Amino acid sequence: MKIDLLQGTLDVLILKALSWGPLHGYAVVRWIERTTEDVLRIEEGALYPALHRMERRGWIEAEWGMSEKNRKAKFYRLTGPGRRALHAESETWQVYALAVGKVLRAAQGA
Amino acid sequence: MRRHGPRRIFRFPLRGQVEQDVDAELRFHLEMRTEDLVEEEGMAPAVAREEALRRFGDLGTITDTCREIGKKREKVMWWSELSTELRQDLGYALRQMRKAPLFTLISVLTLALGIGATTAIFSILDAVVLRPLPFPDPDRLVHFWETNPQTDSFSVSELNYLDWREGNRSFKDMAAFRYASLSLVGDGEPVRLDGFAVTASYFPLLGARPILGRTFLPEEDRPGGNTRVAVLSHSLWQGRFGGDPGVVGRSLRLEGQSFTVIGVMPADFAFPPGTALWIPLVPGTNQNRSDKWLDVMARLKPGVSLEQARSDLDAITLRLAERYPDSNRDWGARMVTFPEWIVGPQVTQAFLVLFGAVGLLLLMACVNVSNLLLARATVRGREMGLRSALGAGRARLIRQLLTESVLLAVCGAVAGLGVAHGAVQAVRAFGPEGVPRLDEVSLDGRVLVFTVVTALVTGLLFGLAPALQASRTDLYALLQQGSRAALAAGRRLRDGLVVGELAMAMMLLIGAGLTIGSFLRLQRVETGFDPEGVLAVQLELPEGEYPAERRSLFFSEVLTRIAGLPGVRAAGATNAAPFGPFRPNINFVVEGRAPQGPEEFHSADWRSVTPGFLRAMGIPLRRGRLFTEADREEAPAVIVISQTMADRLWPGEDPIGRRILWGGDADGTSLTVVGVAGDVRDMDIDEVPQSVIYLPYQQVPWSQMTLVIKTAGASADLAAAIRREIRSLDGNLPIPEVHPLQQSLSSAVAAPRFRMFLFGTFAAAALLLATIGVYGVMMFAVAQRTREIGVRLALGARPWSVVGLVLRRGLLLTLLGVGLGWTGAFALTRFLASLLYGTEPTDATTFAVVALLLAGVATVAGYLPARRAATIDPRLAFSAE
Repeated sequence: MKIDLLQGTLDVLILKALSWGPLHGYAVVRWIERTTEDVLRIEEGALYPALHRMERRGWIEAEWGMSEKNRKAKFYRLTGPGRRALHAESETWQVYALAVGKVLRAAQGA
Repeated sequence: MRRHGPRRIFRFPLRGQVEQDVDAELRFHLEMRTEDLVEEEGMAPAVAREEALRRFGDLGTITDTCREIGKKREKVMWWSELSTELRQDLGYALRQMRKAPLFTLISVLTLALGIGATTAIFSILDAVVLRPLPFPDPDRLVHFWETNPQTDSFSVSELNYLDWREGNRSFKDMAAFRYASLSLVGDGEPVRLDGFAVTASYFPLLGARPILGRTFLPEEDRPGGNTRVAVLSHSLWQGRFGGDPGVVGRSLRLEGQSFTVIGVMPADFAFPPGTALWIPLVPGTNQNRSDKWLDVMARLKPGVSLEQARSDLDAITLRLAERYPDSNRDWGARMVTFPEWIVGPQVTQAFLVLFGAVGLLLLMACVNVSNLLLARATVRGREMGLRSALGAGRARLIRQLLTESVLLAVCGAVAGLGVAHGAVQAVRAFGPEGVPRLDEVSLDGRVLVFTVVTALVTGLLFGLAPALQASRTDLYALLQQGSRAALAAGRRLRDGLVVGELAMAMMLLIGAGLTIGSFLRLQRVETGFDPEGVLAVQLELPEGEYPAERRSLFFSEVLTRIAGLPGVRAAGATNAAPFGPFRPNINFVVEGRAPQGPEEFHSADWRSVTPGFLRAMGIPLRRGRLFTEADREEAPAVIVISQTMADRLWPGEDPIGRRILWGGDADGTSLTVVGVAGDVRDMDIDEVPQSVIYLPYQQVPWSQMTLVIKTAGASADLAAAIRREIRSLDGNLPIPEVHPLQQSLSSAVAAPRFRMFLFGTFAAAALLLATIGVYGVMMFAVAQRTREIGVRLALGARPWSVVGLVLRRGLLLTLLGVGLGWTGAFALTRFLASLLYGTEPTDATTFAVVALLLAGVATVAGYLPARRAATIDPRLAFSAE
C-alpha cells in the first residue's frame, strides 16, 4: 500500500530527518523512503520548496558542502527554532494520530 | 526582478546567485537519483534519467517556486544587513559630530540658513504659483478681456457678453461678474462691503456649493426675475450674523434696498478674494455696447483646446464688429487661463527667479560645508586608512561618510525649518499687498516633503566629493605619512569649489545689484503729482438715495467744508482713486478727422474730477484753465487733457479749443479742450504716462469718489475732523477711512521693494559665504604649507614675498571665480528683464561695481591668511609634524 503525503506532514518528516544531522535534499528523500519502507510516497520535487520555505522561516540553515560521492551538494542543518518546531509539530501529530486511531477503533468495536 | 534603482549599488557581489544555487541543487538531486536507479535497479541510464524526472514531478514549477522563495529571502537579508550597517554608520556619525563640535556647529548653521531660505521661498512659490487654484480643473477655466488697437485688457460690455455666451461653440458655460461696493444698514453700524454682482452661472462654473441654502437660480439673473437675493460669504455670516443657522430667508438692507439671504458659501470659497457677499448680475440692463465693465470667465468644453476656443472667440468678435460697426469696430477679445490671469506671468517669473537665487545660495552653503569636510578629510586620512585596513571596502567607507554628511544635512534641515518658519511669518506679516495668494503661504506637508528631499540631496551633494576624496585610501601612501599626491588632489578640488562659489556669489550679487538699481530708479520716478501731506478718503453714496444732482451737491458741500478746516490747503475729488483698482478708459474720435483704421483709433484714461482736484494733487496746469464751479451740467461740455494726449493728437499745435467725440462714434458727445495738465503716473508707477482726459465732476457725477486733501501736515486730529464733517452731512454713511496718499504710493512699489529686500538679503548672505569660503581655503592652504613657508623664511625669504606667494593664489582663484560668475550672470540676467524698471539686465555699471566689490572682499579674505603665513616661526614649522 502506498499513501500520498498529507499537506504539512512533509515539514515534520524533513525536520525529523534533519534531527539526526545535516543532510542534503536527496539524502532526506532516501531517509524517508528507508524509514517508512516506501509506504509514504512523496513527489520528490515537492521537497525543495518545503526546504527553502523552512530555511526562510529560520528553522533550518543551508550550506554548500561535499557529498559522500565527493560532489558539491547543499546541506541543511536544523536550527534552534527548527528543533522547537519539530517538537511542537510532532506532538500535534501524535495527538492527532491518537485521536483518529481512537475514533476508528471505536467505530470497529460498535 | 527589478534590474534598476538604487538597490544595485549595494547588492551582493554575485548577481543571479539564487538562480544558480537552485539549479545546482536540483541538478544534484536528479543526478543522484539517476545513478541510484542505474546501480540499484539496473536500469539503462536513459531510462533511469526518465524515471528520476518522473519521480521528481514538475521541474519547471518547482524551480520557479524555489527561486522565488530564495529571492525573497535574499531581499530580507539585504534589508536587515543594510539597516544594521546604517545603525552602525549613524552611531559612528554621531560620535564624529560630537568629537568636532565647532565644525558641526558651523556646518549645521550654514546648512540651516541655506535650507531654511530655500524652504521659505519654496513655500511661497508653492502657495502662489505651483499649487492649483481651489477650483475643479482650474486650467480649463479662462478669463476674458476685450481688446482694441491701443489696450489689450478692457472689461467686457454686457451685450457683448450675452452675444459671446450665445454664439460660442467652445465653452461649457460662461459667467460674468462685477465688483459692487454695497452699503449694509441695520444689524449694527452701517458698513460698506466688498460685494460682487454675478450671473447665475458663476457658482456652478467654479464648482462652488453653498453650505446653507442655495446659490442663484437661472431666472434670478434675468430682467423681470427676483434679483433682490444675496449669497453671504462665510466670514460675513460669522461676523455680522454670528453664524446664525437660520440666516437663510432673512432680509438685508443693501444700498437702501431690501434683499433676501438665500445662501451661505463655505469658508474656503471667497472668490474674488475678500468678497463679503454676492448679488445677482443682470447682463443686458445696460444696452450700450461701449460701456465695458464686466469680468467674464468660462469653462472650456471637454476636448476643446485653448487655441480652438481662441479662434472661435475671434470669429465671434469679427461677426459682432460687422453687425455693430459703431461700437465694435476695431474691438476684439482675448482670453487667458485662470492661473495666468490670477497669478500672472510677472509674479510667476519673480518667484522663479527668487527660487533660482535661493537655490544658488543653498549651493554655496553646500560648497562651504564641502570645503570644511574636505579639510577634515585630510585630518581623518589615517582613520580611513585604518578602517580600510580592517577590511572596510571603498563603497562601505563612502557610504559611511555619506551617512555623516546626510546626518549633518538633516540637522541643518531641522534648524532650517525654524528659519523658514520665521521667514514665512515675516512674509505673511510684511509681504507686499497685491501678490495673489500670499496669505496661503504655510509650511505644510508639501513643503516638508520638499525640505526632506532638499536635505537628502544636499547631504549627498556636499558629501560626495569629500567622501570620494577621503575614501581614496592608499595604504602605501598612508604609511609614508600624508602623501603629496593625495594632498594636491584635495587642494585642486577645494580650489575648484571656491572658484564655483565665487562665481555663484557673483551671479547673486549682480542679480541683487540690478534689482536694487531698478528699485531706486522706480522710487525716483517723476510721478507728476506731489503726495506730500495729501490725505485720501474713499466715499460712496448709495445710488438709491442720491440721484445724480444730489451727488454733486453733496460732494461740493463736503469739499467746501473740508477746505475750510484749519490746516487744509486744497481739497478735490476724483472717481478713480490714485493706484486704485478702478481705471476707467474710453475710446474717442477727433472731431473733423475721419475714423479710419486702427491708427485713428484713440483711447484714453478718464477721470471725473472736481475743480479743486488738480490743485490738491499738485498736478501743474500747462495751458488753458482749470474747471470751475461754472462748468455745470447745462454748461458746454469741457475737458482738460494730459500733456501726453495733447502731444499725441495735436503735435506742435495748440490743443485749446479742439474737440473730441466721446465714445468713438460720430454721434458721441462733443467735448472741448479747455486746458492741458502735466503728465501723471498715478495708476501704474512703472508705466509711461498715458493719455488722460479730466471731465468736470458736475457734468459726470459719480457716486463713488475719492477725496484728496492737501494739508499743511497730516495729523490724526485732522483726519478725525474730516470724518466728522462727512458724517455731519450724512450720518448713515459708513465711517470712511482716511489714509495718506504716500501710503498708496509706497504700496505701489511694495512688490519691487519686497523683491529687492529678498534679493539683497540673499546677496548679503552669498557675500558672507563666499568670504568665509575664500578665507577657509586660504587658511587651510597656509596651514598645509607651514613647513614649506617655514623653509622659505628660514632661507631668508622676506615676509612680504611670502604674503605675495599666498595672495597670488587667492587672487588667481578670485579672478577665475569672478570671470566665471560674470559669464554666468551675463547668460542668466535676461530672466530678470521683465522685473526690472529702466534697467538693462546687462547693465555695465552694475556688473563692474559688483565685480570690484567681490574681488575686493575676496582679496581681503585671502590677505588675512597670507599675513599669518608671513609670521610663521620657522622653528615651529619644523616641529609641526
